[in-house]
Amino acid sequence: MSAPTTRLENLPIDAVHVGLALLVLSIVFVLSPLFVQPPSGSFVFFEVGVLFFLYAMILVGLNLQFGHAGLVNFGPVAFFAVGGYAAAILTANDPFQAVGLGFPWPVGVVAAVLAAAALGVLIGVSTLRLRDDFLAIVTLAVAEIVHGLIVAFRDVTGGTVGLTSVPRPIAGTTDVGGGAALVSTIIVFAALAVVFYGVFRRLSASPYGRVLRAIRADDQVTETLGKRVFRYKVAVFVYGAAIAGLAGALLVFYNGAAAEGFFTIDVTVIVWVGMLIGGAGNDRGVIGGLAIIMGFQLLTRFFNDAIPFITQDQFASIRLMFVGLLLMLIIRYRPEGLWGDADRLGVES
Amino acid sequence: MEIPLAQEIIFGLVIGSYIALGAIGFTLVYGLVNMINFAHGEFITVGAFVGYLAVVFGGLSIPVAVVVALAITAIVGWVIARVTFEPMNEAGAVPLLLMSIGLGLVLRNGFRVIAGPSRRTLPRDVTTYRFDDWGFFVTSQQLFIIGVTLVAVVVLHVFLSRTMLGIAMRATSDNEDLALVSGIDTRRIRNAVWLAASGLAGVAGVMLAVSQSANPNVGFGQLLLIITAAILGGAGSPYGAIVGSYLLGIGITVSVAFLPSGLTELNATMAFVVLIVVLLVRPGGLVNAEVRTS
Repeated sequence: MSAPTTRLENLPIDAVHVGLALLVLSIVFVLSPLFVQPPSGSFVFFEVGVLFFLYAMILVGLNLQFGHAGLVNFGPVAFFAVGGYAAAILTANDPFQAVGLGFPWPVGVVAAVLAAAALGVLIGVSTLRLRDDFLAIVTLAVAEIVHGLIVAFRDVTGGTVGLTSVPRPIAGTTDVGGGAALVSTIIVFAALAVVFYGVFRRLSASPYGRVLRAIRADDQVTETLGKRVFRYKVAVFVYGAAIAGLAGALLVFYNGAAAEGFFTIDVTVIVWVGMLIGGAGNDRGVIGGLAIIMGFQLLTRFFNDAIPFITQDQFASIRLMFVGLLLMLIIRYRPEGLWGDADRLGVES
Repeated sequence: MEIPLAQEIIFGLVIGSYIALGAIGFTLVYGLVNMINFAHGEFITVGAFVGYLAVVFGGLSIPVAVVVALAITAIVGWVIARVTFEPMNEAGAVPLLLMSIGLGLVLRNGFRVIAGPSRRTLPRDVTTYRFDDWGFFVTSQQLFIIGVTLVAVVVLHVFLSRTMLGIAMRATSDNEDLALVSGIDTRRIRNAVWLAASGLAGVAGVMLAVSQSANPNVGFGQLLLIITAAILGGAGSPYGAIVGSYLLGIGITVSVAFLPSGLTELNATMAFVVLIVVLLVRPGGLVNAEVRTS
């Protein structure tokens, strides 16, 4: 038993408190005339960092769904995209193509969460009775349908061009240029990610989380114990959908645009691989796993220029090959991930 | 321009043919190895490239290239399956599925590294036969694709109904435990399944190389259609997969007539809607009535 860790656990604060405090501080900082100007060579770290915190938000939802409740959701990007486009369509001012209603950005945030949650209810209620592997296919197909609709309804979504002129509320608080807006953005997103990490961790550590793990272990026994298994599943599915929708809204407000290229299946793959590396079901572990895979993405960027004879396209492919290989090795040799619990996940290692 | 229904059906038969070649293999693997193989599309891509190389560099005729692709893809697929999936045979559906996603990423991007994203087309020698009275035409290439698929289907039928190995395969697919106690060597069956599924994928690949092109995404692009066709026909049933594939192929082309113009590229999206509806309403597929919910 390590004393410092135990003392930390016994303190009457948790990630929610820390996150809320950080959030207040970050908002005060963003609204103040203060700013931080990072050296221009470091922008890439901040850009990947912003994505890390957004993906972390998707991941805490996915981890509740798969890590705790055992729901195989292969379409988190669908909710991410719906949230992003709902926010963009409602708030964009006179986009080049497509619909932009020009509402203030808070309307976009609320709409993103509601739209993603509504899709979550629709998909959850209709598909959560399916067996694991079929649920995986259906959710994957939902993500493809959403992507197909975005590309096809170009009068609404801008098709492959996307929506521009979306407001950038955080970047708008500073006009000093350079990377100052990037720093402000990452501080707010980090605080939000910690808040949601804390909320979902509380949820999974509470008796509620115990029910979810019971459902994962054996949903029929859990049903016999008087728990309404289906309701729990739908609720968990909707929580994950809502938070992914919020992350989507944050992404478009950060970029000032929505494009189908932000919402490809790669998002699903990265988040899933991060979760599996860390160990599905371990709330801290999955974040660590995401950090590993995103760190890999970041560091390999610098190798690209260092290796001659390899085109940009080939390099991107090699990187994805490594992600795939990592996934295969984890599944084969360490299915519980780095920090997961093999017994609880019901895997043999 | 208004395209007559008969013509849409011909196009649908062609699409259904190469979906069927993929879906039969996919459904055999599902039924006998109990896994959803997301890397099945990549096996098809292997076939497309083998066929392309055989024709362009080997100087072989396309029918000979089909046989070459069948043989090489069968062996490649079998070796890959032995290395990746067989050691974790007992792990369950979800780990196997994740494994196949990883494998698909590795293979697909491996093709991109080697071959680049460019599209390689086979030399075409196409004769068009017109049937103006019925309002359609058909090309020699389309007849070839439909014909090869019919041959494959007939061979498969003879194999499944007349040979001991085929009968044992059907028995194992129906009830694996019962097959085991009846003395069926399920290891041998699994080897046969991987060979057959990959071999058919190889044929599908050449058909795609002929009608579209050999490129790193050619098989992956068919994957969700293949899964849809397999589930439409009742996952695990090869005959169902054939029916499902042609229904889907014709459905895709005929639906163009009913979709508003400008949204016609949605017909692949429509296929996924069909997939979801079938899983929800009739999870056992249209042919097979077995319920596959939890």
